[in-house]
Amino acid sequence: MAVASVASDAATEILMPGSEDEAIAAFGDGTEVVVVGGGTIVVPDMTYRRLRPAKALMLGNAGLSGIETDGSRVTIGAMTPVQALVDLKAPLGPCASNVADLEIRSQGTVGGNLCAGEGYEAPRGDLQGAFLALGATARSAAEGDVTEEPLEDFLAKRRERLLLSVSFDEPAAGAFAGLDRPHTHDYTALAVSGARAHDGTLRLAATGAGSWGARLPSAEAAAGDPAAAGEAALQDVTPHDDALASAWYRTKVLPVLVRRVLAELKESA
Amino acid sequence: MKVVGARIPRYDGVAHVTGRTTYVDDVSVPGTLWAKALRSPHHHAGITKLDTSKAESMPGVHAVITWKDVPLLEYGHLSALGIPADEPLLAKDEVRYLGQPIALVAAESEALASAAVDAIEVGFEERPALFDIRQAFDSESPKIHQWGNWYPHFEGEMDVRQIRKGDIDRAFEEADTIVQGVYRPAAIEHAPIETQVCQVVPEPNGRLTIYSCTQALYFSLGVVAAHLQQPLNRFKLVGGTTGGGFGGKVDTATETMTCLLVMKANKPVKWRWTREEEFLCSSTRAPWHMELATAVTKDGWILGQKMLTLHDSGAYSRFSPYGLTKHSFHHTGAYSIPNLHFDGYVVYTNRTPTTAMRGFGVTSVSFAVETHMNRIANELGLDPIEIRLKNANRIGDTSPNGIAYTDPSTVETIQAIAQAIGHELPADYRTMTNEPRTGELLPEHLVSQVGSTEGH
Amino acid sequence: MNLTVNGVAHEVSGSELAPLLDVLREELGSMGAKAGCHQGGCGSCTVLVDGEPRRSCLLPAGYADGTQITTVEGLGAPEDLMPIQQAFVHYYAAQCGFCTSGMMLAAQAYLDRGGTDDPEAIQHALAGHVCRCTGYSKIIDAVAATARGDSFDLTTTAVGKHTTMANGGPE
Repeated sequence: MAVASVASDAATEILMPGSEDEAIAAFGDGTEVVVVGGGTIVVPDMTYRRLRPAKALMLGNAGLSGIETDGSRVTIGAMTPVQALVDLKAPLGPCASNVADLEIRSQGTVGGNLCAGEGYEAPRGDLQGAFLALGATARSAAEGDVTEEPLEDFLAKRRERLLLSVSFDEPAAGAFAGLDRPHTHDYTALAVSGARAHDGTLRLAATGAGSWGARLPSAEAAAGDPAAAGEAALQDVTPHDDALASAWYRTKVLPVLVRRVLAELKESA
Repeated sequence: MKVVGARIPRYDGVAHVTGRTTYVDDVSVPGTLWAKALRSPHHHAGITKLDTSKAESMPGVHAVITWKDVPLLEYGHLSALGIPADEPLLAKDEVRYLGQPIALVAAESEALASAAVDAIEVGFEERPALFDIRQAFDSESPKIHQWGNWYPHFEGEMDVRQIRKGDIDRAFEEADTIVQGVYRPAAIEHAPIETQVCQVVPEPNGRLTIYSCTQALYFSLGVVAAHLQQPLNRFKLVGGTTGGGFGGKVDTATETMTCLLVMKANKPVKWRWTREEEFLCSSTRAPWHMELATAVTKDGWILGQKMLTLHDSGAYSRFSPYGLTKHSFHHTGAYSIPNLHFDGYVVYTNRTPTTAMRGFGVTSVSFAVETHMNRIANELGLDPIEIRLKNANRIGDTSPNGIAYTDPSTVETIQAIAQAIGHELPADYRTMTNEPRTGELLPEHLVSQVGSTEGH
Repeated sequence: MNLTVNGVAHEVSGSELAPLLDVLREELGSMGAKAGCHQGGCGSCTVLVDGEPRRSCLLPAGYADGTQITTVEGLGAPEDLMPIQQAFVHYYAAQCGFCTSGMMLAAQAYLDRGGTDDPEAIQHALAGHVCRCTGYSKIIDAVAATARGDSFDLTTTAVGKHTTMANGGPE
């Protein structure tokens, strides 16, 4: 999505498409359009006048919600509430459970969470790490053109495209380990997700150790030795300071979370 | 006594659970304008320009106020306690904390009021800011208050709150060891669920009705009347229903300014702070810096204590001198320490001015003293509960400011705690009472304590 | 847009993106939901939307179009209090009362989905609700008592799990 124009106090034009095709058309090339999923991020930004969009694309009626399973392939619509993921297996289930509280999970959406821009405390996008660990792909649209690509490629341009759904293959094993939150209002300060696919591929990803969720390829390469993998993970990220945790603290805890995830994956072998 | 000891329901319990309790923001008066404040974006700056003309001419804007509109710009809220005025209601030549109010707008909608605030032209010349109270005393630190960096108007124009009692030098000579500690509790937000809010309505008879969330109705009435130089009966203050205050709603932070807007606009005005304003701009409990050095015997008697306190008042005095004074009176906590040397300073920084919060002035020293008692017990290898019982206040002991205790409950309370946590006490500690000290509980260094009103 | 609030239908104007909280309070004069933070962080704005708890300060009015909204005013009246309201009175679960309407609505939704008197489950259900007055224990006692089906005597206050030191120790 394009950066919203902080326009005058002229009223925002509201677009409320009734289908996926209408949503794609309404989004266009994303210029001057702010996408509203559940509203949990956009509405307070508007209340506090940090965001005054020329156009707001409200996706509530576009039929983009739902979890579909086709064999072992799972597809989650972008407007699916985060709460719908809470009972899924690790890493998604525990990752989603760790997001906010019941009311906000019920209103906030998978798409809104994945596409969140940088916030004022921890980077938003609690679910990014979990989906990256699952090797998910993202189906998105811009200028009428629908593409499916690896999630890490989509995340780099998540503010410029309209996310429609994410898909992944059910893993053989999954795991999640995150820092305890001081308060439900806080975004994920630091968490590691892991999954082992049926073909043996191991993926590890971190949320909260950089601007957005990222894979940990150095840790993956060293996964046979969890202690080494934990340390190797530090090569893949540049932790930051924010209100929830310092970069120093993140550097201390990340290896611990990596080791925990690897231990949990090993147990479910 | 029908009520003491009885379990009676809250008189407002049913109102709370049916949504009928009327908080200030629930007062709905037709034609009410929204207020928004222009606040300082800098911690410390001179104001080089302030032009509200564009804001005033915007459609839907009914009033803009600045320091020029305030009849008495600086009013000492605690002048009756000898604390002179130092804080302007609205900033005049300078700003001393981030969030300090400079101007207010009343307009027909929240969005219009915000837009009008954005249209006020204001210029600043930034100045170095002071945040660390320990640095306030350095000659190289910026001077940030008209009285210097610490409050100079204690009685006799002293710049320090002092308590001297007994013979501290002798206590330190006779001690087996000196235990030191530094304690620095941070500022605490009151964070009531209801933010600061005020609604003022102009009455046809010329009075102003003020719906206020203040915790201190009559006090706030006096403050408003003083700033506005009006008789008390010009105002009808409606209050007593607050969505949490905890000491943070005693600063009369909204009422006067809202009245000024109403006087200019001749329409009702409501000013409701956002949660961000509440966190960034409302007063907090003060941060403190406390240094203790305690003279103790090896069997756990406290002979004397030296203490230095720096109280961070933020940019202005408000109630800090009063808080520090209370702090000094209680600086030995629940224990009898006959030889005392206390120095306390109210220090200014470019932080949000601090204010009362439950146990104003005293919670800081309780924290320090209790932590320090554990430190003493650790260093001496003694039981932390027994050492407290030994030194606990008893009938006839005197407080730091010379008040004799008539019935302190310290001993009983500590014994109850020991029982509740399953901490076994030896028999002689289990049977201690708060009766005046005798025998082993009256060692020589406590003789002069009992029944004496000696002190500063 | 059409909102049914406590059983009464309303047609409301304004932007579909306006927070439902502001529509309730300013357009419909329904003051039960409170503006504690406008960030979804305190819970005092919580209302039920088709029976489910939602932060009205976060919910765009357009997403509430056509729904049934319950505010605290839609619970019992003083002469006919629902059990959760009676429990809050009896257990002193409200002090300043500002968080109370959101707490009770979220608690009622929890009970409606079969919530038990398990304190951890109650805490989880109310996790996003902040109270600065009570320290939460009386609120949990009140919800637990309601879940158990206890009866309440409103002429007195309850002795809850956390409120006594009987025989020198907590109950």
